[in-house]
Amino acid sequence: MTTAAPLTGSSSPAPGPAEAPADPAGGAGDGRSRRGLTPYWLLLPAGLWLAVFFVAPLFYQASTSVQSGSLEEGFRVTWEFSHYTDALETYGAHFVRSFGYAATATALCLVIGYPLAYMIAFRAGRWRNLVLVMVIAPFFTSFLIRTLAWKTILSDGGPVVGALKSLHVLDATSLLGLTGDERLLATPLAVVCGLTYNFLPFMILPLYSSLERIDTSLHEAARDLYAKPSTTFRKVTFPLSLPGVVAGTLLTFIPASGDYINAQLLGSPNEQMIGNAIQKQFLNVLDYPTAAAMSFLLMALILVMVSVYMRKAGTEELV
Amino acid sequence: MTITLSGISKRFGDFTAVHPLDLTIPEGSFFALLGASGCGKTTTLRMIAGLEEPTAGSILLGDDDITRLPPHKRPVNTVFQNYALFPHLDVAENVAFGLRRRGVRSVRKQVEEMLELVQLGAMARRKPRQLSGGQQQRVALARALINRPRVLLLDEPLGALDLKLRRQMQLELKRIQTEVGITFVHVTHDQEEAMTMADSVAVMYQGRVEQLGPPAELYENPRSTFVANFLGTSNLIEAEVLPPEEGTSAGTDAGIRVKTAGADASASAGAGTGTGTGSGAGAGAGSGAGAGVGGDGEAALRLPSARCAVEGAEAGTKVLVGVRPEKISLTHADEAGTVPAGHNRLTGRITDASYLGVSWQYLVETPACPELTVYAQNVERDDRLVPGARVVLHWRPSHTFALDAAQDAAAGEEAL
Repeated sequence: MTTAAPLTGSSSPAPGPAEAPADPAGGAGDGRSRRGLTPYWLLLPAGLWLAVFFVAPLFYQASTSVQSGSLEEGFRVTWEFSHYTDALETYGAHFVRSFGYAATATALCLVIGYPLAYMIAFRAGRWRNLVLVMVIAPFFTSFLIRTLAWKTILSDGGPVVGALKSLHVLDATSLLGLTGDERLLATPLAVVCGLTYNFLPFMILPLYSSLERIDTSLHEAARDLYAKPSTTFRKVTFPLSLPGVVAGTLLTFIPASGDYINAQLLGSPNEQMIGNAIQKQFLNVLDYPTAAAMSFLLMALILVMVSVYMRKAGTEELV
Repeated sequence: MTITLSGISKRFGDFTAVHPLDLTIPEGSFFALLGASGCGKTTTLRMIAGLEEPTAGSILLGDDDITRLPPHKRPVNTVFQNYALFPHLDVAENVAFGLRRRGVRSVRKQVEEMLELVQLGAMARRKPRQLSGGQQQRVALARALINRPRVLLLDEPLGALDLKLRRQMQLELKRIQTEVGITFVHVTHDQEEAMTMADSVAVMYQGRVEQLGPPAELYENPRSTFVANFLGTSNLIEAEVLPPEEGTSAGTDAGIRVKTAGADASASAGAGTGTGTGSGAGAGAGSGAGAGVGGDGEAALRLPSARCAVEGAEAGTKVLVGVRPEKISLTHADEAGTVPAGHNRLTGRITDASYLGVSWQYLVETPACPELTVYAQNVERDDRLVPGARVVLHWRPSHTFALDAAQDAAAGEEAL
């Protein structure tokens, strides 16, 4: 009876369990309710994972952020909220710098990544898969190693600095306050370059996937309706790729804001980002409550910025 | 605006999609490019639209050479096969797209009028995905027509619609074309659609235009086996041209006579073998054929010389003689004497009879052709016309056509 029940359910003209009227027959009813539970079973592994490794630590962190005490005496929950205000006062500059670097890197990623994603989606032909693999190829080595490699590339005696020097580019960038002392390492420019490089694939892949879904006959329709190629891009291609732009910027901006490796390896103490400060509080100062409060602040600020951005971008309007 | 294609061709690598082609599409006409998929009809259309650059040749619109003009500079608009509506814009903005690109400031009135024309006034603020297939189709049409193009190109515009809606849209398109008076160039693989709507049809096959003309002319007098089979159904019979008759008397326009295996020698002979042995009849009639043809004029098939597609056909030329299934009358062999004089006639045996509602479809085995199809109107049917019955098939010489026997007799059949 139970094995037959789903069959009777699926062969009934009612399109789905949601629209189906309540069935008085017991067997069929069982079949429906079992099918109704399936989505929840499918959610279970991810749900458990999130609960154990995200929600639980989050609560632990939250409680830590309102504790006081010291490592020797132990920490107790005292509902001490001053960590938050202290963190903002002491590390305000770090927050601003982090978001500034992350935003710059995100913008650079978009500028570099969009043409590449466009090329892969519409012009690469049979090279498409090869180019996509090349985009992902850096992931075959670790984040740390790649950033260390940039340290060598940008080193003072390296070819990049030499070339930029001879072209007097460094003079220009130092006027903008991006570099100083005729070097690239230990400058904001180096950190932004590192962030841009490391997060570029996260921009390209969503852009590519949204561009690739655009029916090329839409381009033809636009051109047929008197749109110049540039207008076609502005009025058709770009609006339709907005979901990819939004996803790409989020995937780049969020992790870039919290990153500390690039600032650590390519920057100086003047380029420290909030990630470096949190790391120092946790691992060097061992002031866990302040570190936890800083983490929470970072999360909250990102959340606010992202929700404002999403509302502005109005992604729900799009296809 | 008259479109003149001269020597236009398109190659993709080694593949020639369109062989050098000359075509003149008169102003204000509803012109159909008809053919199976891959015949080059869509490529031809895209070259007119500017979406494909011709390998050679030129396209004139009126007196202007538009061959090298990019699509956005051509006074030509297209209704795409999948409509290609902009999914991020609502119906009104889709329709207004072309006007806005040309810098028209106030588009509202025109958009409203155009949406009225296609009966979608209430849908202006909907997104394309909220519309049914037929509604999307009409938005695509409005989006193209609002620009008042000199020529409207339609690329299989009704292909995605179900049969009933397609019929309705065929009439609708025809109505709109008459109303706006723009030249329509319509690409389709549906011969019925082309015949219903177009004033003039170019049948394309393997990158070439096989035949060009009004639908009735293409249907009644096909010049190639592809056209004969692709437009409706044809019975094609292998035959050989006979020398001209001396002292022609029988038919008024009996231009050409051909002989074929088993052309009915005489009414009485056919009836005799038929009633005798049903199974042996075919062989008997076959052996008697040569003699029969040699004798009197009625044995051979006749057709007007204008309906022979072979240039300068003389005695001995191999041809394929064709006749449409609905032109053939069936008479039971017992009444073979009632067959009007002067008709072309063949004897055969019914192998299959199927009831199609408005008509009966018979398959008849004859020595000349193993399977001839006959459609008979479903009125006053002779009850004796059942499988196995011996019959005389007869039709007017003026309904007969002849094609070059060097072609594939089955071309265009599988395409349906």
